[in-house]
Amino acid sequence: MSAAVAAFILLASLACNSSPPPVIAVIPRTTALVLWEAEHAGAEAAARKTGFSIYWNAPTSEDDVERQIAIARHSIDRGAQALVLAPDQALALMVPVRNLIARGIPTVVISSPLPIPPGGKLSYILNDEEETGRIAADRIGFILRGKGSVVVLGIDPDITGIVNRTQAFETHLHIKFPGIRIVDERTGGFNIAQAQEVTEDVLAREPQLDAILALNSAATRGAFIALKTHGMLGKIKLVACEQELIPPLVTGEIDSIILENTYEMGYRAVQLIAAERRGEHVPEQITLSPKLVTRENLNSPEVQRMLTMNWRSSD
Amino acid sequence: MKVTNRIRGRLRIAGIGLAIASLLGMAATVFLTRPSSRLPYHDSFASGQAGEWTAFGGTWELANGAMRNDSDERGAKLLTGSKDWKDYSFSGDVELLGEQGDAGLMLRSGDEERGVDSYRGYYVGLRSNDENLIIGLADHGWIELAARPMPGGVHAFEWYHFKATVRGCQITAIATDISTGAFQQASVIDKDCVPQGRVGLRSHSSGGVWKNLEVLPSTASERDLPQASPLVAPPKLSYAVDELERISNPDRVDASSSNKEQVIDKRPDGATVNAVPVESIGGLRLIRIKSRRTTVRGTVILAYPSLYVQDATGGVAVIASSETHLKIGDEVEVTGEVDVHDFSCVIRNANVRLLWAHAPAPALAVTAGMAATGAFDAMFLEVDGDLWATEAGPDNTLLLTLRSDGQSFQAIIHEGRGSASVRSLSRRSILRLRGVCVVDSLHTHNLTPFLLLIPSTDDLEVLAGAPWWSARNLLIIGLVSVTLALLAYLLYIHARHWRLQAIVEERERIAHEMHDTLAQCFVGIGFQLQAISNGMPKSMHAVNEQLDLACELVRHSHEEARRSLLTLRREFLESEPLHSALNTFACRMVEHGSIKVLTVVEGEGTPTPYRIKDVLFRIGQEAIANAVRHGNPSVLKIEVDYRNAAVMMLIADDGGGFTPSGDLRGFGLTGMRKRAEGISGTLHLSSTIGSGTQVRVVAPLPPRLTLLKVNRYVWRQGGRGGSNDSRNDKKNPYSYRR
Repeated sequence: MSAAVAAFILLASLACNSSPPPVIAVIPRTTALVLWEAEHAGAEAAARKTGFSIYWNAPTSEDDVERQIAIARHSIDRGAQALVLAPDQALALMVPVRNLIARGIPTVVISSPLPIPPGGKLSYILNDEEETGRIAADRIGFILRGKGSVVVLGIDPDITGIVNRTQAFETHLHIKFPGIRIVDERTGGFNIAQAQEVTEDVLAREPQLDAILALNSAATRGAFIALKTHGMLGKIKLVACEQELIPPLVTGEIDSIILENTYEMGYRAVQLIAAERRGEHVPEQITLSPKLVTRENLNSPEVQRMLTMNWRSSD
Repeated sequence: MKVTNRIRGRLRIAGIGLAIASLLGMAATVFLTRPSSRLPYHDSFASGQAGEWTAFGGTWELANGAMRNDSDERGAKLLTGSKDWKDYSFSGDVELLGEQGDAGLMLRSGDEERGVDSYRGYYVGLRSNDENLIIGLADHGWIELAARPMPGGVHAFEWYHFKATVRGCQITAIATDISTGAFQQASVIDKDCVPQGRVGLRSHSSGGVWKNLEVLPSTASERDLPQASPLVAPPKLSYAVDELERISNPDRVDASSSNKEQVIDKRPDGATVNAVPVESIGGLRLIRIKSRRTTVRGTVILAYPSLYVQDATGGVAVIASSETHLKIGDEVEVTGEVDVHDFSCVIRNANVRLLWAHAPAPALAVTAGMAATGAFDAMFLEVDGDLWATEAGPDNTLLLTLRSDGQSFQAIIHEGRGSASVRSLSRRSILRLRGVCVVDSLHTHNLTPFLLLIPSTDDLEVLAGAPWWSARNLLIIGLVSVTLALLAYLLYIHARHWRLQAIVEERERIAHEMHDTLAQCFVGIGFQLQAISNGMPKSMHAVNEQLDLACELVRHSHEEARRSLLTLRREFLESEPLHSALNTFACRMVEHGSIKVLTVVEGEGTPTPYRIKDVLFRIGQEAIANAVRHGNPSVLKIEVDYRNAAVMMLIADDGGGFTPSGDLRGFGLTGMRKRAEGISGTLHLSSTIGSGTQVRVVAPLPPRLTLLKVNRYVWRQGGRGGSNDSRNDKKNPYSYRR
C-alpha cells in the first residue's frame, strides 16, 4: 500500500515537473520556398532529436527587412530561448542581433554573414560562397567549352553572401577560362517580374549571349520566364544558384543548379544551440559546401535530402 | 433584533451575488451571440459591413459588394468567426486576380500570424500554377493533403464557387467554374486533425475577390460529402511546384492570361525597356507646354478611387483612358498628357502598362509641416496627427480632420471594413496615417494645405487614445466628486446620529437599572426608618427627631433620584417640547421656594431634532441649577426662540451675579461649552455683580435636504468651515462671537 502511494506521489511530481520544450525561433529570409523549407525540415529533424520546439516564421517577401526584425524580436519576447536567422539584409539586422546577444540569446546566423565577428553567443553557419563561385565558373566554362559570353543576374549588394559569390565567380572565370567574357552584370532583388524584365533587356542588348548565371532564386525564375518567352530555353544555358525550378532541370531547360545546403544549416544550427545550452564548446563558424545538381545526379539521396520540404518527416 | 439584522445581511449578500451573476450572464450572452460568433453566418459585404473580419497582411477592402484583396502578398489572410466552431461548411464565390498564385478559403483556423503559412488550420483553394484544386494543412508550415486538376483549368478573372466542409477529421472541397459548370472535388481524412477554429479568406501571390460567403453548421445527416481518399505519401508540396506541362507549354499561359491582356498593354515585339524615353515624375511639374505627352514609370500607390503612381522623385495622379485592373505595388509605365496645376500635376488620357507586380511600397514618414509644403504631392506618406473631428464625407466616405505641427489636414477613408472603429475614435486621439498626399484644391478646397487619401483602415494606427482631461471627462469627474462628497457628508450625519442613539439607549438602560435598584432601596430604607420611628417611645425626643430627619432626607433623596431618572429617559424629552421640559425641571428645582419661574416661547412651529433638544436641555439643566444654587434670584427666566434656522435658549436670573473673568470652576461652564460645540452651537455667558446672569445658547437646525436645498446647504456648510466668517455671523443673530 505504501509503495503504491509512493509511486503515485512520484508520478504526480514527475507530471507536475513536465514543462513544454524550449523553443528555438528559426527565421529564414522568407518561407514556402524550396530553399528555406529545406532549412525548416533540417531544423525540425534536429529539434526532434534534441528535445526542442521550433517556432517557424518569416516575412512574406525576402526584402521585408523591417518585418524580419519584428518577427525576431517578437519571437524572443514570446519566450523563444534561441534564434536561428537567415538575414534579409546584413546592415539592418546588425543592431537587432547585437541586442539579442546582449540579452543572452544564443544566435546562429546562417547562409550569409552579418558584419559582426562571431564568438560568445553568436555563431555562423555559412554557405561557401567562394566554392559556389568556383563551381559556377567551372560549370559555365565546361558547357561553353572555354569560349563565349555570359551575363550575371541578381547581384544583391545588401546580401554579403551573394556579393562574395559574384566576386569568386568573376575571379575564377577570369583565371581559368579567359576565353569567356562577362558581358553584363545586373543587380536585382527578389522580384521575379523585375528579373524577367531585366533579362529581356539583356537579351535585346546581347543577341549572341551564350549563358546566364542567376545568383538567386528570383533571378532564376525571371531569367527562365524571359528565355521561355523568347524561345531561347536550352539555347542560352542557364546556370542557377539557390534551389528553385527543379522540374526544368529534368527537361534540360535549366542546365544546372548550385544548391545551398540549407537543410544542413537548419540541422546544424539547432545542434549548435543544444550544445551551447549544455555548456559545450561550439565552433564560431561552420562553412558548408554547395552542391552542383544536374539532371544526372538529381535523384541521388544526398540531393533529395537537400531539396526536401517535408518538415514533418521523422527522418 | 440581531437575528433580523443577520437575515437582512444575508439577503443583501444574496442580492449582490444575484446581480453579479446576472451581469456575467448578460455579458456571456452578448459575447456568444455576437454576429461573428454564431452559426449560421452570412457575410454583409453587400451592405458594406465587414467589421467582424481581421486582416493578416494584404489590402482587404470592400468593393462592389465583395471583399477584395488587391495585394500579391503571399499568404494574405482575413479571418472571422469563432475559434470554437467545429463541424461546418464554408461556401462562397472566389475570383483570382493573378495568373501565378492561388486563392481560397480557410477552415478551422487558429493561432494566426502574418506570414505565408503562419496559422494552424486547413486551406482549400484553386492554384493557377498547376491548375489544381488543393486541400492543405498549415501548422506554421505547409503540408499538402490533396491536389486534383480542375477541369478547364484555373484562370484569373473568372468566378468559381467553393464549398468546403469539415466534419470530424474529414475535409472536403468542391470547386465549380460558375461560367462553365465544370467542377472538381477532393476529400481527405487527416488522422490528427485540427478539431476546431474559425474561417478565413486567403490568397497567395495573387489578389482575389470573395463574395456570398456562408458558414453553416455541418450535421451528420448530410449525405453529400464525397468519399474521402487516403493521403498520398509523400505529400505534395506547394508554391515551389512548377508543373512541367504548364511550364513547357507557353500557349496555356497565354490562353489563361487573355483576360488580363484586356487591361494591360502588351509591349510591341522587339521593344526593349530602354527604347521608351522615360521621364522622372518629379520633373513633370517643370513642364510648361500644355498637354505635352510624357512617359513615366513608377509604383502604383493607390488604385481606387483614383490612380496614383510614384517613383523615387515624386508622385502623380493618373487618369487612364480605359479601365485598369491594377493593384497597389504594381510597377507600371504610364504614357499620357501632362496637365500641370499650381502645386501638382496630372497625367490625362493615360495608357498604363503593367511591368510587374510587387508588394506595396512602404510609406515615407514625414511631419505634417513637411507635407504641407507641397513637396510630397501624390506620394505615399506616413503622417502623425491629433484627431479633431470625424464626419461623414461625400460618396460613402469618412472625413477625419487632424492637427499637428501647427498644421491642420484631412484624411479620407472609404466606408467598409473597420470603419466602425474609425468612427468610434475619440477626439484628441493621436493617429498615424498612411495615405496618398494630395494638395490639389479640388480635394482640399483650400481649407487645409493637404489631404491624405487612405487606401485601407489598416493604414490607420492609434498611437495614443484621447487624454483623460477632456472637458467631458472633467465634468464627469466633477459631478462624481460632488456626489461622493455629498454621500460622505450624509454618511457622517448618519454616523453621528447612530452614535447619539447609542448614548441615549445606554442612558435609558442605566436609568432603568437605577430605578430598579437605587430608587427601590430608598423606599425600603424609608419604610425601615418609619417602622423604627413608630416603635420608639415618645419620651426619646432626641432619637425621634433624628429619625424624622433621616426619614426626611431619605424622602428628599428619593425625590431627587426620581427626578434625575426621569430626565435620563428619552421618553421624557420626546414627549414634550424643550421649553416645557425646562420649565418642569425648573419648577421642581424651586418647589416650596420663593423663586418665580418665567417661561417665554417664540415660534413653536419648528420641530427640533432630538439630538439638539437633548443637548440644550442638559445645558439648561446646568444653568438652572447654577442659578438656583449660587445666584439666589427672585425670578428665573427661561426663553426659547424657534423662529429662525437655529434654536436660541436663554436662561437668565436676577440674582447676585458674578464676575465672568474670575474662577468659574464648579459652575460646569466647560461642560456646557463642549456640549454646545457638539451640536455646532455657540454659548454666551454674561453676568455682572448685582444684575444676575444670562446663559444664551444658539444651536443651528439642520435643513431639510430636499433636492432644491442641497446645493445651498452644502455651500453654506462649506462656507462655515472658516471660524471667523463674517457671513455666518450675519446669518446667526444669536452668536456671541459677533
